[in-house]
Amino acid sequence: MRVFRLAGIVLGMLGLAVLPVIAHHSFSAEFDSAKPLKLTGKVTEMRWANPHAWIYVEVVDKAGKVEKWAWETGGANALYRRGWRKEDLVAGTLLVIDGFQARNGSKTANAVSILLPDGRRLFAGSSFQNKSAEAK
Amino acid sequence: MPSYLRAVTAVCSLTLLAFTASCSRRPTPTAALLPRTADGKPDLQGIWQVRSRASYDLEDHVARAGMPAGKGVVTDGPIPYQPWAAAKKLENAANRHSADPLARCYLPGVPRIMYLEFPFQIFQTPDHIAITFEWTQVHRTIYTNGAPAPVGIDFWMGDSRGRWEGDTLVVDVSSHNDRTWFDMAGNFHSEALKVVERYTLLDTNTIQYEATIEDPKVFTRPWTIRMPLERRTDTDRIFEYQCQAEAEEANGAFERDPMTWYPGPSHPPQIPAEWTGSAAQTPARTPPAPTGAIKRMADGTPNLQGYFMADGGGANYGLGKHEVDFLTPAGRGIVVDPPDGLLPAQSWAKTEMVNRKLPERGYDDPTAHCFVAGVPRSMYVPSPMQILQPPGYLVILHERMSWRTIPLDGRPHLPDHLRLWQGDSVGRWEGDTLVIETANLNGKAWLNEVGEVLSHAARVVERLTPTDADTIHYEATVSDPLVYTRPWTIALPINRQKDELLEVACLEDDQDLPHLKDIRDAARAKKGP
Repeated sequence: MRVFRLAGIVLGMLGLAVLPVIAHHSFSAEFDSAKPLKLTGKVTEMRWANPHAWIYVEVVDKAGKVEKWAWETGGANALYRRGWRKEDLVAGTLLVIDGFQARNGSKTANAVSILLPDGRRLFAGSSFQNKSAEAK
Repeated sequence: MPSYLRAVTAVCSLTLLAFTASCSRRPTPTAALLPRTADGKPDLQGIWQVRSRASYDLEDHVARAGMPAGKGVVTDGPIPYQPWAAAKKLENAANRHSADPLARCYLPGVPRIMYLEFPFQIFQTPDHIAITFEWTQVHRTIYTNGAPAPVGIDFWMGDSRGRWEGDTLVVDVSSHNDRTWFDMAGNFHSEALKVVERYTLLDTNTIQYEATIEDPKVFTRPWTIRMPLERRTDTDRIFEYQCQAEAEEANGAFERDPMTWYPGPSHPPQIPAEWTGSAAQTPARTPPAPTGAIKRMADGTPNLQGYFMADGGGANYGLGKHEVDFLTPAGRGIVVDPPDGLLPAQSWAKTEMVNRKLPERGYDDPTAHCFVAGVPRSMYVPSPMQILQPPGYLVILHERMSWRTIPLDGRPHLPDHLRLWQGDSVGRWEGDTLVIETANLNGKAWLNEVGEVLSHAARVVERLTPTDADTIHYEATVSDPLVYTRPWTIALPINRQKDELLEVACLEDDQDLPHLKDIRDAARAKKGP
């Protein structure tokens, strides 16, 4: 079930303009547009934090090696206001997650969206097109 | 005899025949003599500070390093810990220099925030009681409007719902996390904590503060602390103590920007010749005509109260019009003067703004360190705010844990050498427009995430004009002779939201800054010494 994939995201996805607006730091400083990333893995922890929440995901590569990735999303308040609840992302939840890797080469990334086992696709806390995302 | 006892005696003598029974008990508030709000509740407004050693240790304690001896405030002590918790408390005490959440400048929680030896100000409206604290710009809202508490979410500062029982304000504080302590001595709780606070005005200058603490995971029974809060009659405003900012400036983690920081009164600003600004260049703008009925207070002034969020249109990533740049959203541009929509930066500032966009400068944005956003940035960061209009003030509470308390009594600005992150704001009504003038900025804030520049020499004039029941037209004119060639003005709508504020515990949960620091350090190493 845990397939490790490092797939370039089709540039068209950027056309969705799903971009974080609830920032408290420069995203382009921390993350690298040249390093798109898409992984399938299991949630080990969801940290409901502000101004950004974090999803910790464990993935297993083809050689069976376990890697732990930290994914930054929009803030917990934005997720809460959109109806996300803690039970959505309990440890063990399988998901596909995509975004951009950190410039410093660490196993850290900025999440654009997640795909849950039931087929729901959730954007990572904020969408550029939703101007008042944090207040909804 | 304390004045309130004299008052009690006087009232009892006068009304002895009618109220014999009530006068025979311990001194109770002299109801007739208490200051009251327009709706008849005891008026708790003003600046208060604890008068006890509770912040060091809630129980009787001998002196330790950095901790004076003191009497405890537990009315039914000792604190009834379960055995495991008693051991944990001792461990906390032994490790307090590093383990105390306050040693890391974290949010203190309730009740601890109430008895830190820092002043706070209470503002009272019929629906909300707001408390703004000197300690790191923390604020609390006590909802007295009957709105239900949110479920499925917890807060460092808990969730506070209040009601009046006679002349006592009773507040249920729930939805705590398990990461705050009660004092420096390591007294602690779990997330099962429930606190019931009681605020009783004993006389004009004294509130009796009581908090009953219940936590079945940690204690064997509920227990209560009680202490007086004393009115600070020596000051008419709260200043600031930005705990983390001061710590990082002291240890070098946050570095001085010599071009913008206030250098002290002995270094008057040398205004570059590029500044040609004058008031004539920014004539007073005509406020927009209302497009619908606006709400009004009892005295006829516009009622701006409620939960709001600015539609800054990407202003936090550039005040001028700009396109998407990777993860930085586009902006529609909110600069309305100069007419070209561009910030009229001096040449050095243009270069600085290009430099601040480099990845290695991302670390230098104060909000990346979770410091407050400053003025005017705190108004257009994409984060909600609550506006209250208690008598004599406009109060703005920002979800990103900072506040602005703006007196409307015509007082002058602070002396020029007193500089603050949020500056010193004073306000006045001009027709239906609230005009706020801000000076005394410390020059440490950035205008946004991409590093548009603001210096300590800046003065900001904001204009808030309601255009209908749910919209405020916001303008800010910035005059900064060290950075720009002339004053400039931004304009944007601030829209009513239905949701209450939540809490952004930025510093407590932040995991971004180390990454930004790595990028900066790597860039510096590459460049060499």
